[in-house]
Order: sequence, then C-alpha cells, then structure tokens
Amino acid sequence: MDPIYLDHAATTPLRPEVRDAMLPFWDERFGNPSSVHRWGRAARAGLDAARGQLAEVLGASPGEIVFTRGGTEANNLAVLGRARMAPGAPVVCSAIEHRAVLAAADAAVAEGSALRLLPVDGRGMVQRDVLDDLLQSTSVKAPNPASLRLEELAPSNPPIPGAGLLCSPQHWGAAGALRPKHTQRSTERLTTDLEELLRRKPAVVSVMWVNNEVGTIQPVSEIAEGCRAAGVPFHTDAVQALGKLPVRVDEVAVELLTVSAHKLGGPKGVGALFVRRGTELAPLLHGGGQEGGLRPGTEDVAGAVGLAAAAVLAEAERMGEMERLRPLLDRLEAGLRERVVELVVNGAGAERSPTILNVSVPGADPEMLLPALDAEGIAVSSGSACSSGAVRASHVLSAMGLAPELAGPSVRFSLGRTTTRDDIDRALAVFPVVVERLRALVGA
Amino acid sequence: MEPRTVLVAMSGGVDSSVAAALLVEKGHRVIGVTMKTFCYSENTSPGKTCCGLDGIIDARQVADRLGIPHYVFDVEREFTRDVIDDFVAEYASGRTPNPCVRCNGNTKFRDLLKRGRMLGCDAIATGHYARMGLDERGSAVLIRGRDHNKDQAYFLWALPPEMLPQLMFPLGELTKPEVRQRARELGLVTAEKPESMEICFVPTGNYVDVLEQRLGAEHPALLPGVLVTRDGEPVGEHDGYARYTVGQRKGLGGGHGQRLYVIGSRPATREVVVGTLDQLHRSEFSIGELNWLATPPQAGDQIAVQIRHRAPAVGAQVLEVNAEGIQLVLDTSQRAVTPGQSAVVFKGEMVLGGGRIAS
Repeated sequence: MDPIYLDHAATTPLRPEVRDAMLPFWDERFGNPSSVHRWGRAARAGLDAARGQLAEVLGASPGEIVFTRGGTEANNLAVLGRARMAPGAPVVCSAIEHRAVLAAADAAVAEGSALRLLPVDGRGMVQRDVLDDLLQSTSVKAPNPASLRLEELAPSNPPIPGAGLLCSPQHWGAAGALRPKHTQRSTERLTTDLEELLRRKPAVVSVMWVNNEVGTIQPVSEIAEGCRAAGVPFHTDAVQALGKLPVRVDEVAVELLTVSAHKLGGPKGVGALFVRRGTELAPLLHGGGQEGGLRPGTEDVAGAVGLAAAAVLAEAERMGEMERLRPLLDRLEAGLRERVVELVVNGAGAERSPTILNVSVPGADPEMLLPALDAEGIAVSSGSACSSGAVRASHVLSAMGLAPELAGPSVRFSLGRTTTRDDIDRALAVFPVVVERLRALVGA
Repeated sequence: MEPRTVLVAMSGGVDSSVAAALLVEKGHRVIGVTMKTFCYSENTSPGKTCCGLDGIIDARQVADRLGIPHYVFDVEREFTRDVIDDFVAEYASGRTPNPCVRCNGNTKFRDLLKRGRMLGCDAIATGHYARMGLDERGSAVLIRGRDHNKDQAYFLWALPPEMLPQLMFPLGELTKPEVRQRARELGLVTAEKPESMEICFVPTGNYVDVLEQRLGAEHPALLPGVLVTRDGEPVGEHDGYARYTVGQRKGLGGGHGQRLYVIGSRPATREVVVGTLDQLHRSEFSIGELNWLATPPQAGDQIAVQIRHRAPAVGAQVLEVNAEGIQLVLDTSQRAVTPGQSAVVFKGEMVLGGGRIAS
C-alpha cells in the first residue's frame, strides 16, 4: 500500500511549474543581480519580477518585500529587528507563536527587552481583551520613572504575572534589564523597574495568522487595527495563512508579515518579510546592502522566483482548493470522532484553517504515535519534536490549557494539493487501529 | 523461515548494521531503531552536539541504504535510573558491576519489545554474537555465538525468559571478520568503524570519572583509606576503594616484599584488601540475583560457569540451591572471582541463566 502524506503543514512537494520557473536561474541566468553586465541584468530581471509578483499577491509595493532565507529568518528579522529599534521596550507575542517567533523574542529578552506573552483560550484563540488592555495602558504616556511609586502603577489590570498576562518566570529571569543587580535592592524598587519597563510602548506585537499546529485563525485584522490605533507595529506570521486565506496587506493594517515558499509548493529555504514603508527595522546580518540592507548577501534568485511562482499559483487556486479541502477535513474530523473513543479535537469551536486538524488521543504513548502511524503508511506530525528524538509536549496545546495526558498524545493531520478523498478514507481506516493498539499496550 | 516483522536495535556500529541488513536480505519486514540512552553533557546548548548523535546519524544512513524506516527513541531517563545509578551504587558498595548485562536485562530488550509491539512487530533483533535455538521440548533457548572470540552470550543471561521466542540474533553464525566483509559488500558506512570497547556512558574510558561526577569527590568510596592484608594488617594507603578492582596490581605502591593484588574491599572501614596471587584464587563462591532462561540446575549438578567476559566457562559443581542464590565449587580455582560481576551458567553452548557473584 502506498504511504499517505498528510503533513502538508510541515512541507509540500515542489510543484513542477515552480521548478520550471526556477531552473533558468541555476543555468543560463546564473548571474549576480548586483552585477552591471548582461548576466547581472538577466538575474536582476528575474528577481525584480519575483518581487513584483509576490508584492501583487500580497497587495504590497515591490519595495516592501524583503526576501529571506525562509520563514524563521523573516520572523527573527521582524521580532528582533523591531526590538533592537526600541531597546528595553516590551516585545508582545502570543503564547502559541511558532518557535521562530518565541525564540526570537527570547533573544530580544537576552538583549534587554521585556516580554509579554498573550494567553490564549481553550480553543487556541488569543485573548483579545488582554491585548486591548495592554495597548490602552501603553497608549497613555508613562509618568516620569523618577517619580514612580508603586500605587500609581497599580491600575485595575496590573501588568504583572498572575493578573491576566502570562509571563513565564524564565523570561523574567533572562531579562537583563530586569535582573536584580544588587540583592539588597528592595522588592518594591524592583517591581517598579519592571512595571515601568512593561508600561513602555511595545516594540512590536506579533500574533500569527493561522496557527501551524492546531490551525486556529486569529482575528488578525482587528488586532492589527488595535495596534495601529495605539501606534504599535504589528507583525503576523502568515506562513500557514498564505494560499489558504486572503492575505492582503492593503486590507489588513499589518506593518510586518512573514511568508514561506515551501508550504506552498515552493522550494525550502526561501521566505519573505513584508515591511510596510516607514517601519523601522534593524537588520540581523550585515553585508553588501542587498534587500534594502535588511537582508544582505547575494540574493537567491532562483529561490525568490520559486517563492513568487508558488505564491501566484497558490493564490490563483486558493478558493477552489479550499472549497475542495474543507469537506475532506470535515470528513476526517467526523470520521475520527466516530471511530476513536475519547478523541479530542484541539481548537474545536474556533475558526480553523481548512487544511489542519489536530486531535489528542489520551492513553496512547506520545512517543510511539508517529512511528506507529508511519509504519502503517500514514505520514503526520505532532507538536514540536526535537531532532534527537525526545518528545516534549507541544507548547501550543499546553498554552491552550491541555493537561499533559492530552497535550502529549496529539496528532496533526494537514491536507494539501495532493490530498484525495481516498487518502482520508485510508487514514480513517488505519488511525483507529493504531490508536487502539497503542492504548492496549500502555503500561505493558 | 516465515517472514516476520522485526524491530532491530541499531547503535550505529557495524554489528547492528549488518544484523539489519541480513534480516532485510532474508525477506523480513524490518524497522530500525536507535535508543538514545544518555547524553555526555547535561545541557544541549547550540554548538554542542549530543553524544550519541554520531551513532544516530550512522544508523540512519544505514537504514536509508537498506530502505527501512528508522526511528530514534529517548530512553535516557530509564537508562540513567536502571543502569547508571546501579553502576554507581555497585562501585560505592565495593563491587564491580556489568552495566551491559544490567542494560540488556532491565532496559534495552524490555523497551525494544514494548516498542516493537506498538509498531506491529512480532520479533526483535540485535547485533549480539549469540544464537537462538530450540531445546528437546521445542522451547527457545539462548546459545553462544559461533565466533567464540566475539561471543556475547555472557551479557544476555539477565533477559526476561518469556522474551526468548521473540528474539533474533542474525550475527550468531558469523565471525567478526565475516561481518565486516558483509558490511563492505553492502557498502555500509559503518563497515570500517572501530570496535567500541568501553562502556557507552563512560566516554573518557575511565569509569572513575563517572563515579566522581555522580558521587562527588567527597564520597567515602573515593576518599583515601588503608591497604590491609586479609588479616587486617595495614601495609599502605589507597586513594579510594571504588578506584580498585579485584585482581588489580597497579596503584598499590611498591616495597611490599612480594607482588600484591587487590583481593577485595571493606567499604564499612574504607579498606582495600590486598594479598598474594595465591590469595587471589578462589574455588568456592555464591551467586545471587539469579535469572534462569532454561531449567535451573539442582544441587549436585555438574555445570560450566563463566565469570567474566572473554573468559572460558569452567567446570563447577552446584553445592546448594536456595532462595538467596546458588553455591558453587569450581573444579579448578580461578583468579579474581569478583563480587558484582556476572557468573553465567552454561550447559554446553546453551545458556541456562546466571546471576551476580556475591561475596
């Protein structure tokens, strides 16, 4: 039996049209786009065209597209690049961001930024009221730090741990600016420093459009409006949104937006960051000034062409594809609910991408789920697995409040262009058998 | 033989690579697995690669070459609890453990079997030089590998007996040079990998490093004490009884008038007992923590017993069998019968079972 690929959120096969578009830039159009001569021009023309195409798909101007080495780099550039423009100011992101955002935020903390994680509810939706309160409190000009006293800093919604905002202790500990320099300093003084830092206008707010693990769609448009009204730059990781939802920067008030090629039938190792004109951003790399100085280094022209070609195709086919996949995903969900007892659909009740279904199967060995499914020919993912093989519970499911017994044994099915109804039916035949076997052997 | 679905443990060495290859060749459906047993470094900060990672990469490459799936499982917690902690505790109590025996009996095979079942396998295989056979009643029995230089039956006596019918040792009929030759023919990346002799969690090759790290340098087992004769007469000093093994001559200093060997230790008084070559020899001892893979011997039975890896089994008579263990008398006295080491009982080539040498 041929194996079934239901892991399109991990990566997708390169589309033949995309490969064809890329090939000339490894062959006769090999030039360096910065060169003055005809080879350079031939490459430059391809790069310009790619930038223009991607800009058009996104509703941006070509000058607002920065090609990067993938989604991770674009997310790092957005978060860390903003944090460095506003030293010490808070970085705000949701607790269910991709590791590329969370780890970049941690890096900002190590450089002296404060971090505020926006909690999500049980469906995996960002708690908007927390963000609104935060934006409101920071829109008021902070009083002079020298005259600060604790009681003045205690609004009805104090932005300290345990009062609505999730701030994990390791983040506090890691924050250079927040670390007590002298142990004899009073707690009061310390709290004052900390609150003062957190009351500053955030350097950036980052909330992903479609969550890569559970598929929940965040109300990015409204969040963006709120941030814009407060004068705070807003970044969204749209890696799992492009090609699935309308992603238009001329309709949504984002300043920064991340896309990636290989989730769309494009090549791995290429992404882009939309940077709205006027948004101040510090580069992470330093070099020859390419990509407006934000991403120096000789451009991967073939990669950029591949990203643009994949984005154009995905956008053109988006409506039809999503109409085709939605019933397949629904069929999968309904079938699994029917066949697997105690199955939990994560993100149920929230608006979700028609391509992602995340379920928990309590009682099954978390470490063995994916291998056992693979051995039966079903290729799926779970939360973050580390390369050495150690399985940690997904931070997304944990943030949604799932107990370890549920967050551990979870599986993400993700559908894509190659997915057929037959794939779904075969997954429905195999999955319950594997779960039953694993449950029977638990504690064996 | 009926094709089976086999989970094969692949360490990334040449033996388990060829074991997997032979199973594939015989038409079995094979799944490869590498157990991540421990990490040399406590943190896995960027730039520091994880210890077993090279082995994992090699195993993965071999699996890819053979066209079989390969998974990595993390058993670090169980391995530390069941093998490393025991290893350290044994040395601290003045004994000399066999961690590989402990691992095979408590961790590796049990874990393999459980995971194998979860993956739909009906057999598990390793690259040990040992064979499976059937006794006269048709029960599965463990037999020495054909290559007596490489035979690893010594390390397998502690396996749960109910597991035997599911075990496969594809290298049992081969010699090491033959295994290497097969690896070369198959173009496996591991063909020329050197033999690993040291204990996998002792990267430096010196077990005392592990003791110092896990016990702390101030632990009584690592503090200086007195060298005494069997009669308690002090003859010198030592720098920690856990640093000495029965039979050892090094580190005892000179000027004793005669050649001295470690013949034991007394942890309660932190003494290391030394004696002459003559005193190092013993013929009567008992073994405890028994595990039987076949019908256990009875008092009066003549058996063969192997008291260390790469030593031949020697004739012995069973003096007594009781709940604690069995009492043996060797036909010829042996040097360095070491408490904590495994004593494996054979009937011809067949492993009957074994235990740990008691005092």
